Amino acid sequence: MTGALLQVRNLTVDLFTARTALRPVDGVSYSVQSGETLAIVGESGSGKTVSNFAPLGLMPTGVVADIHGSILFDGTELVGMPEKQLRRIRGGGIGTIFQDPMSALNPALRVGRQIAEVGELHLGLTSMQAEARALELLKLVRMSDPEARLRQYPHELSGGLRQRAMIAIAIAGEPKLLVADEPTTALDVTVQAQIIALLKDLQQRLNMAIVLITHDMGVVAGTASKVVVMYAGRVAEYGTAEQVLLEPRHPYTQGLIAALPLPEDPPGSPFRGLPGAPPILGAPVKACAFASRCPLVLENCTKAVPQLLSISGVSATACHVVNASRLKEPANA
Amino acid sequence: MRTLISIRLRNAAVLLVLATMLCFTLVVSAPGNVAVLIAELRSPKATFEQIRAVEEELGLNDPLVVRYGNWLGSALKGDLGVSYKTGESIGPALAGRLHVTGILVAGGAIFAMILSFTLGFIGALMPGSIGDATTRIIALLGASMPSFFVGALLIYGLAVELRLLPTFGSAGLSSWIMPWMTIGLLPAAVLSRVVRVGLEEAMARPFALTASAKGLSRGRIIFRHALPNIAPTYINALGAQGGAMVVGAVVVEPLFALKGVADLFLQGVLFRDFMVVQACLLVFLTSFIILNLLVDIGMMFSDPKLRRQGANA
Repeated sequence: MTGALLQVRNLTVDLFTARTALRPVDGVSYSVQSGETLAIVGESGSGKTVSNFAPLGLMPTGVVADIHGSILFDGTELVGMPEKQLRRIRGGGIGTIFQDPMSALNPALRVGRQIAEVGELHLGLTSMQAEARALELLKLVRMSDPEARLRQYPHELSGGLRQRAMIAIAIAGEPKLLVADEPTTALDVTVQAQIIALLKDLQQRLNMAIVLITHDMGVVAGTASKVVVMYAGRVAEYGTAEQVLLEPRHPYTQGLIAALPLPEDPPGSPFRGLPGAPPILGAPVKACAFASRCPLVLENCTKAVPQLLSISGVSATACHVVNASRLKEPANA
Repeated sequence: MRTLISIRLRNAAVLLVLATMLCFTLVVSAPGNVAVLIAELRSPKATFEQIRAVEEELGLNDPLVVRYGNWLGSALKGDLGVSYKTGESIGPALAGRLHVTGILVAGGAIFAMILSFTLGFIGALMPGSIGDATTRIIALLGASMPSFFVGALLIYGLAVELRLLPTFGSAGLSSWIMPWMTIGLLPAAVLSRVVRVGLEEAMARPFALTASAKGLSRGRIIFRHALPNIAPTYINALGAQGGAMVVGAVVVEPLFALKGVADLFLQGVLFRDFMVVQACLLVFLTSFIILNLLVDIGMMFSDPKLRRQGANA
């Protein structure tokens, strides 16, 4: 996979706070071609967000991240890059959209200013030029009455408009990659669809790659060309959207998809959730992290970490059971 | 905005009348009799009759309501009465002293703002550093030391030992430096914590992460993104500290022999010269009310949410 815009190899993140040490990301690999969309799905706490934000230096204050592995972005290694250079990547090469647009925007600054400062920083625009560009960006994200919006404050906008402003900020530095961390989770269902449509439209116009962090399988189906399923900091399954959604092979992915409510479910029918809860991310486990919840569990599952095995034509899966059956009868299709 | 200010002004006028009423009652009912003091000034061994005559002369036997009414009536006409002690008209005496207290408090406030921002920013830019720890210690010391002690310390250090500054008077900038530091140190200490803690809280909010995702440096995030968010809190605290500084002038003015309003107030209290006391209190109350009005306006300008409400009020 040469020529990928983003090539993540064996990424491991250890987080240290004053009290605890965690390994939320353990040996994750994937790649994103320019212009394509990769979705990262998984439950809360599966390491989706950290795997994307920690290497960019986007961590809350007081948290120290120790990062191993390799992230090649546009040919440049991001792991171990000094903060000063990393700042040029953030907002410039890689734009970011956050989950909650209310708290992610600065309540004390006008929307126009918050967009314009990205242009000033990364494109070397004067403040006049940057304001003019902010107006263009607001039109690009299809904001109603963009001239007035420029002078408004975040609290004067609705949730959907705020997320559009957030998107305008994220694309203001003309990024090649957009990292969208659950961009629709905090929004109404109708607004969710609009925002996803907007992201797809912008992707085509600006030829951006998108890493979409989500737990909404509907969004994945509608946007992504590739899917990474994460569980407890590791990749459980990785493949094209068709492979992962239509022929899920990892029992966790199968459980996730089976848990989706169906239109033919009678009203009042119980949710088909996965039994149990994800493990607490402490020291790395020398076993399959899903073993305790897995319907197919074998003896080997509690003894060794399953490796991600890629076979052409189907999704790569990190599961002893699936991979054992594959190895016995080698794929000929 | 304009309507809001006019509402506040109307409220302020009512508040001022109520406050003077309260002060008048308190001052008059305080122990000690000015008539005794005046009669003794005239003849050292004043008789009971002489004292009664003085009381009659000053109208001290009138009912309280009548006395207050008389005072308010003439005060509204710009006449604050005459001092019992000196017989001087209080208005001009007060006017000649206003600027001294004004310079003292304004200079102290500027000193407090400069110092508090300096200390607060050092801590916020380098959290956990030696600089941060030093600012905490300075803040703790500044907040723990009473102003008369700080003043005495400054006089001893800067004037007596090092001979850098004059010990008293109000001639030139150099004579103001110590009074400003004395009156401004405690507010500076309190406000530096407002800056430091406020910036730290603002930096932990999600918008700071957004700013970081834009590629802004920590310094720029603090100045451009966190600072505007602490402005309302800071202005509020500055207003409270400003009030405290007006009160602090009562200590600082005598210490540096400044002939300001607070000094006049103190003389009035010592002599039970309640016309002077009442006039000084009127000045203090008015300055508090103006200060509060300024804080409200400042809050409105610094907080976008309040600004829109103000415009609609």
